[in-house]
Amino acid sequence: MSLRDAENRELLVLRIDDDSDIPVVLVRLGAFLSAQGICAPESARIATATVELATNIVKYAKRGVIRVRALRLGHQRGIEVEAEDKGPGIANVNLALTDSYSTSGSLGLGLPGVRRLMDDFDIRSTVGSGTTVRIRRWIP
Amino acid sequence: MENMSPVLLMQRHEIVEADLVLVRELGSHIEPRLAEYVEHLYAWMRQLPEYEEYFADPRRVERVQRAQVDYWRELFRGVIDESFMARRRATGEMHARIGLSLPTYFAAVDMSLTILVDRVLPEAALGDRKAAALRALTKIVHIDTAIVVEAYNRLTSEKLAGQARALLELSTPVTALWEDILLLPVIGIIDSRRAQDIMRSVLQRIAETRAKVFIMDISGVSVVDTAVANHLIKITKAMRLMGCECLLSGVSPAVAQTVIELGIDISSVNSRATMRDALEEGFRRVGIEVKRIGQ
Repeated sequence: MSLRDAENRELLVLRIDDDSDIPVVLVRLGAFLSAQGICAPESARIATATVELATNIVKYAKRGVIRVRALRLGHQRGIEVEAEDKGPGIANVNLALTDSYSTSGSLGLGLPGVRRLMDDFDIRSTVGSGTTVRIRRWIP
Repeated sequence: MENMSPVLLMQRHEIVEADLVLVRELGSHIEPRLAEYVEHLYAWMRQLPEYEEYFADPRRVERVQRAQVDYWRELFRGVIDESFMARRRATGEMHARIGLSLPTYFAAVDMSLTILVDRVLPEAALGDRKAAALRALTKIVHIDTAIVVEAYNRLTSEKLAGQARALLELSTPVTALWEDILLLPVIGIIDSRRAQDIMRSVLQRIAETRAKVFIMDISGVSVVDTAVANHLIKITKAMRLMGCECLLSGVSPAVAQTVIELGIDISSVNSRATMRDALEEGFRRVGIEVKRIGQ
């Protein structure tokens, strides 16, 4: 297997342009996770968190990219999901991570929920230039 | 690309007026001999497995050949404007509609360039400006290719959107399970569009049947995120407003766990583990007792 094949197998890139891409994210992510040998309930957890991030991209930034990587740390396997957009950014990240806070009239549980669902959660946002959320789940 | 102006398109492909002048000059050598080009091209095309499929009718061959000659004439006019772009788009759509594959289209464009340059263009034409002229021709052909690919793309995505809509319409099979009891098995992915669709058809059926109990089974749904949960809660509330109680069934362990960790308040949702439990509850609510015969 060439290096290129190895990279392709480990990385899934999902472009988000509008809400019709969200079902596509679920379908392609589901195939990726099952190819990595990850099944329910872990796959549901990762897919739910990923869909939350994809929904945020559509809602606030209109478009963006989601990259999914298979991780390996010794015997530990994991999945990393990175959601990046060039949208308006988040003015107050701490507030956005508070339960029931929403600037769009939704439940306001997306980001804090994602943080609870995953093991690692990292958010970088600059007003006017975009947001990157990186999350990891180590498969127990 | 779709809304790109000719000027922007030329900038993107780095086409300047000098290129257009060279292409016009190339055209002055090639245009009188386009009949030769058609002959060579068809000698090649006849070997393609698709040829018979598209060109069984000799009148069609004639028509397409004329169109191909017109195509190059227009390209050698060396004018890139709205009407050029519109005609290229129409060409792309036409090829996509008849189901010609993009690789075959590209192969034909590539073959055309080879024929025009190696067999039709007189050897001595343009002298030392020949290389620059051929480069200019390639750039314009690439613009053309970009427009055609875009047209293919648009047609394909229209087709996909159509299929998605069709699937959506098939996907809310609300069934009258019993008098006063309706059932909707939800399978696959719920996005906001589908949720709205479910809301609409569910309320419609409740109005028609005056059902008192609605069982929504989500055992076929693998992911319930906050947006989906929000939709389900709204659907439940709207049903209650119409005098119909919604019983949610088939919540898988994975979904139950993620919904709780997301922190969604599901206290307003009446949920049962299995569809059987929901049905028993439904019977109880509408005052029906199911008994084994002979008991």
